Amino acid sequence: MTDETRTIKTDYLARVEGEGGMLIRLKGNEIEEVKLNIFEPPRFFEAFLRGRYFTEAPDITARICGICPVAYQTAAINSMESICGVTVEPQIKALRRLLYCGEWIESHALHIYMLHAPDFLGYPSAIEIAKDAPEVVETALRLKKIGNHIMTVVGGREIHPINVKVGGFYKAPSKAELEAMVPDLEWALETSLETVKWANTLDFPDFEMDYEFAALDAAGVYPIEGGERFVSNRGLDIPIDEFYEHVVEEHVKHANALQGHLKERGSFLVGPLARYALWYDLLSDEARGAAEGVGLPKVVKNPFKSILVRSVELVEACVEALRLIREYEQPAESSIEVKPKAGAACGASEAPRGTLCHRYEIDDEGIILDATITPPTAQNQPQIEADLRGFVGQFMDLSNEELTLRCEQAIRNYDPCISCATHFLTLEIERG
Amino acid sequence: MHEQATIRDLVATVLHVAEENDAKRVVRIKVKLGALSHFTPEHFEEHWVDAAAGTIAEGCKIEAELSEDLTDANAQGVVLEDIEIALD
Repeated sequence: MTDETRTIKTDYLARVEGEGGMLIRLKGNEIEEVKLNIFEPPRFFEAFLRGRYFTEAPDITARICGICPVAYQTAAINSMESICGVTVEPQIKALRRLLYCGEWIESHALHIYMLHAPDFLGYPSAIEIAKDAPEVVETALRLKKIGNHIMTVVGGREIHPINVKVGGFYKAPSKAELEAMVPDLEWALETSLETVKWANTLDFPDFEMDYEFAALDAAGVYPIEGGERFVSNRGLDIPIDEFYEHVVEEHVKHANALQGHLKERGSFLVGPLARYALWYDLLSDEARGAAEGVGLPKVVKNPFKSILVRSVELVEACVEALRLIREYEQPAESSIEVKPKAGAACGASEAPRGTLCHRYEIDDEGIILDATITPPTAQNQPQIEADLRGFVGQFMDLSNEELTLRCEQAIRNYDPCISCATHFLTLEIERG
Repeated sequence: MHEQATIRDLVATVLHVAEENDAKRVVRIKVKLGALSHFTPEHFEEHWVDAAAGTIAEGCKIEAELSEDLTDANAQGVVLEDIEIALD
């Protein structure tokens, strides 16, 4: 052996490769293993919350996501208000729903046009779409801006809003401030109706799964900013406080993200497909009309058609925002005083990508003793793997490159938190 | 929070270069850590040791220089400057 070495000049700039990997192990025509590995490192928010004052939870948890901070704030607030035994006035509830509609509009517009559409249209990203069809990207950006503007007017700023608090808002907007958004929202409604028609022209793979759909039950309205019960199409019907008696989170070896499943039956699905299937009859006439107009059935089992269902929910969010503004009367007090009370409770909301559940325990001084946060992507991850298993089984004759693209598209059906990385997936296929 | 992904990319690149040059093992790597990369040399080494385990880059010497230039075009990244490989 000699000591011959050589130095190679590289000057290579390392880039973020992505936070997801996938292993598919095939033996002949049989799938032996499908593993979706999310190796985004843990972020320890639940640990940060311990020892903090209960009113800090909405602001701390908002930082978990820049796309859906309102979902985190609202779930935290619902939980804290439940522990402390307070109920806010209807106008405060309406303002929360309006703020949340803003988040649905910006998040759904982002996902439909900027993240999911490129997969269907054969572009690597929205930037490339902009070169050929700038009007598509301009539409998406204007829609997103309208959603963000609602968050600014109601929440104080568009990312990580600062105007929300346990007990209400620091300041309630005036009727005139809200009414100033109506012309833009009317445009957004028309555009989302067109979006449904446009999404229906996309080419969907012929693929269906038999899902257990789960979502909040918001007592007579389409679930957005909360709900007292968590229900499914297979008989699950529990008070939200019993969430963790039925949904268990497991740390699997191949992923940093915890995986949630139902104790009774295993994987389940939360998000637009689930909300739509469970609460179709509670959609507005405009949203239902848009769905019927493109022949969308009341239950959609093809996950690739989630882009269509998300478009229907975009219509719903615009209709709701306009209704809430029309009916709004500025409350005399923007919040109620909330005194801490020792106890524990769950609070949930419907994030754009599915049910988000928080559970806190606080002491009589209002100090957080324990916190558990279960985001929708964690609940959906076993179902994503099940979809991939079914999908790969049907399309295993494709080349590795094509299969990778299709699998990325299949994962993006769920609008998971990792989808903003355009090419996030390292696919490893072992064919035996 | 993207350290693992960055390091994975870096390990893959080092192994690719090593393989292209018929290396038996990687002796040393030299990297420049951007001022905004969220890495310190110690932090980088910790991640590297974990990611390179079991490869021909395991145990290689790491020369990591932390840049303080916030205006550098690569301030947010990690530049792999060179790799020393053993051929026998």
